[in-house]
Amino acid sequence: MAALLKKSLLHPVLRNNGVARLQFVRLAGYWNKDWKPGPYPKTDAERIAAAKKYGMLPQDYEPYPDDGLGYGDYPKLPLISNDMKDPLYNWDMPDLKRNYGEPIHTQYDAYVEERLSNARIQYTPMYMLSRFLGIMGAFLAVHLLFEYNDWYLKHPWTPPQLLKEGKTHYTFEPLD
Amino acid sequence: MGSVSAKSLEDGSDYKHDPLEGFPNGRKPREIKTTLEEMESARIPLDKRDYCVDYLMKYLGCRSEKYPWVYRCHHEKHEYLHCQYEDYLIRMKEFERNRRLEERAAKNNHHELL
Repeated sequence: MAALLKKSLLHPVLRNNGVARLQFVRLAGYWNKDWKPGPYPKTDAERIAAAKKYGMLPQDYEPYPDDGLGYGDYPKLPLISNDMKDPLYNWDMPDLKRNYGEPIHTQYDAYVEERLSNARIQYTPMYMLSRFLGIMGAFLAVHLLFEYNDWYLKHPWTPPQLLKEGKTHYTFEPLD
Repeated sequence: MGSVSAKSLEDGSDYKHDPLEGFPNGRKPREIKTTLEEMESARIPLDKRDYCVDYLMKYLGCRSEKYPWVYRCHHEKHEYLHCQYEDYLIRMKEFERNRRLEERAAKNNHHELL
């Protein structure tokens, strides 16, 4: 438990089955034993029963590959983040863009509207980085231009020679 | 009460060593043409009442005439800033002169002690 907690604090974005996932460790978490998926289906009859349990057609149903640490018979659904779903369709729950009884992805809570998105990106990372550095570089250049332009006035000097009755100050030119 | 001491009000000459030492042809004293009454009338801040007040007065006069197009006073402003730059040079040279005289005095002391 402590190891998992440490991992979650140091690696907030995990790669889970090749899918980026935020690790939300809620110390006051709640789990219900009835939510546990059944074992990995081995026979065809088990597959059809599992598909029926999750409300899917048997030809659509595909469980995660069984490596001993998988999700049992929970289906492997296409990962579509919520902002990619049609906002104009007549969902049963329009704010969640969900229908009643719809099987949801294992990482659903990371891809809700306010969180991660897997939309196709319009700008390449290099383009975004160069634009960022360009704008920040412009700010930096202006700052340097207006802040560090007295590099030739850095000699130590006496206090200011203010006017005073009876005091005389001299230049360095000879009397002529 | 304790912030302004009498010592700061009547401090001695600004020159710790003889200012004319080492100048066989003497030194020209710094002069201004502005009188104290004129400075007080223009309410010039105390820290700006140095040897560039002539140019400052001219610049301020130009500004008050040409306001709000004060960019037209760039010549007067340049003259004032040039005077400030010359003042910087003089003070820098004074500092260096003082430093070298101090160094020489310390060396002489050292030799005398030996």
